[in-house]
Amino acid sequence: MKSYLVILKYELFALFISPATYVATFYFLSLLALGFRFFIESFSYTDWILPPLSSLVVGLLFGSPALIPFITMRSFAEERRLGTLETFLSAPVSSALLVTGKWTACFVFFMFISILSFLFPVLLYILFPEQGFNLGFSKIEHWLGSGIFLTVFGASFTAIGVFSSSVTKNQMVAGMLTFTLLTIHISVMSFSFGNGTPSSDDSKFDNFINGSLGSLTNGLDKLQHFSVGLIDLSTILNQIALVVFFLVLATVQIERLNS
Amino acid sequence: MAAENKPLPIIEVINLKKKYGSIHALKGISFSIGKGEIVGFLGPNGAGKSTTLRILSGLIPADSGEAKVCGVDLAEEEGQVRNHIGYLAENNPLPEDLRVIEFLKFRALLKGLEGSRLRERIKVVLEICDLERRISERKIGNLSKGYRQRVGIADSLLAEPRLVILDEPTIGLDPRQSAITRKMMERLRGEVSFLLSSHILSEVEACCDRMIILSHGQIVAEGTLHDLQKRFVNKTIFEIVATSKKIDIQKEVRKLDTSCELLQDDPVEVSGKRRFTFSTDQGEEIAEKIVKHLLHQCDLRISEFQISRPDLETIFLRATKKNWDEKDFLIRKKYKK
Repeated sequence: MKSYLVILKYELFALFISPATYVATFYFLSLLALGFRFFIESFSYTDWILPPLSSLVVGLLFGSPALIPFITMRSFAEERRLGTLETFLSAPVSSALLVTGKWTACFVFFMFISILSFLFPVLLYILFPEQGFNLGFSKIEHWLGSGIFLTVFGASFTAIGVFSSSVTKNQMVAGMLTFTLLTIHISVMSFSFGNGTPSSDDSKFDNFINGSLGSLTNGLDKLQHFSVGLIDLSTILNQIALVVFFLVLATVQIERLNS
Repeated sequence: MAAENKPLPIIEVINLKKKYGSIHALKGISFSIGKGEIVGFLGPNGAGKSTTLRILSGLIPADSGEAKVCGVDLAEEEGQVRNHIGYLAENNPLPEDLRVIEFLKFRALLKGLEGSRLRERIKVVLEICDLERRISERKIGNLSKGYRQRVGIADSLLAEPRLVILDEPTIGLDPRQSAITRKMMERLRGEVSFLLSSHILSEVEACCDRMIILSHGQIVAEGTLHDLQKRFVNKTIFEIVATSKKIDIQKEVRKLDTSCELLQDDPVEVSGKRRFTFSTDQGEEIAEKIVKHLLHQCDLRISEFQISRPDLETIFLRATKKNWDEKDFLIRKKYKK
C-alpha cells in the first residue's frame, strides 16, 4: 500500500510538471467553458430534455478522446523509451502495483479537470443565483448523478489510455491508439443511443447482446438516468469490469516485456 | 564441522538456463559468490552476462535451474529478492525531469525507507558516490554521463543491500570517473558483495577478487587472476628485439630448448630491427638462460629482451577462443548441410 502511494505521488508530480498536460488542460477547459456558455444561453430554445448540468458531462465525455491521450500517453511509453521501466521494477514493486499506481494518477488528474469544469455551473450559481436555480443547479441529485457517471467513465477511459501507453515506446502512437479506442467506444454508444432499453419486440439475441455489453453500448442512454440522480448499478459494474480488464492487459504487457 | 561454520553464499546458481525464442542465452551455468566478494562477470557481447544479472535481480525469470540470492529462492519468491539487493541496469536509465535528490528520495521511499533513516541513507550514499550538494540539486537530464552513473550507483546502495549488481558500471566513463567507481567499491569491500559485468578488462583486473568468464551462454573460466593465468597460460612468453635473421635466432634458441616455438616475427618500425616472440613450456628460467646465451652471440645483435606475463585480456581471449571456434564449426557445418 505504501509503495502504491509513493508511485501515485510520483506520477501525479510527473503529470503536474509536464507542460503537455497544462496546455491540453487549458485548451480543453477553454473550449468546454465556451460550449457551456453557448449551451446555457440557448438552453430555452433547444429541445434538450435532460438537466443542463448533463451538457457538461456530455462535453467532457465527447471531449475525452482529445484530452485523455495527453494525460495517459507518457505513463508507460515514456518509461519504455527512456528504459526507466527496468529501473522502476528493480525496486520491490510489482508490475500490477505499478500499473495501478500510474492509472490512479491519470484518473485523479482527469477528475481534477472534471472538478475544474464543474466550477463553471458553480460560478454561474454564485453570480446569478436566480438563473442558476431555474437551470436546476441547486438540485444535489443532479450533481451527484453526473459526478458518479463521469467518475466511472473517466476511470475506464483512463484505463484504456494506460493500456495503450503500455503497448508502445512512442508517445504519439500511444496517444493515437487511445484516441482511436475512445472514439470507437463513444461512437458505439452514440450509434446505439435509444436502443439501450430492452423491449418486448427485441429478439432474445438482441436482449442478450444488450445485457452482456451493458454500458459499453448503452452508456449514453444511462446518462439520462444518472443526470436526474438515478444511479444505475449495472453501469458502474460494467465500467469497473472495463477498468480491471484494461489494467490486467497493461500488467500482462509489462510482464511480457520483462520476460 | 568446518563446512557447517562456512557462511552461506550470497549467490548460488545451479544449472541456470534461459532461452529467447530459439536463442539459448544461458546454457546451464553454475557458480556461487560469497559474502563480501567482488566478482567480475566478463564475456563478449551476447555472452549472456546481462541476462544472468537480470535473472539474479528478479527482473526476469529463468527457464530452468536453481538460483538463490541472499537466501531467497528466485523460482519461488522472485520479487522478494529486490528487497535485499541493489541493481544498476545497463546504460543506467534515469528519469530526466527529476532532481538528483528528488529521485533518490523517491527511490528510498519505494524501497521502504522513511523518516530519519531515509534522510541519513541519502546523505550517506551521496557521500559514498562523491555527489556534492551542488550536484544533488541539479536535474538528472542536465548531468554528465559520469555523474548520472554515480546517481545510479547511489540508488543501488540506498537500502543498505547485501548484494549490489552492476551491469557495465564504468561503460562510457573517463579514467577519473572509473577510478571513483572503483574507490567506492573498495570502500565497501567486505561489507557488501558486488557482482559486476564489464568489457573493460583492466577495470575488472584492478578491483575484482574473482572473475567469471562467459561465452555463448556458458561459463568458460572462473577463478582469481592467478588461477586463470595458471590455467590458460601455461607457457612462458618472451620477446627478443634483434637485427639478425629469423633463421639464425631460431637456430640458437633451439640449441637450448627444442620445445621453444616462434609465435610472431614483426618488424620494429623503420629501425630495421625485428621483434621475435617465443613461447616455451620450460618456465622463466630457461627463457633467461636463452637470452644470456643469445647475448654472447655478437653477430645476432640483441637490443631488447622481455618476459611477458599474461594479462586478463590474453586470458579472456584464450578462454573464449575455444568457445568461438566450436560455434564457428557448428555454423559452417549447418551451412554445408
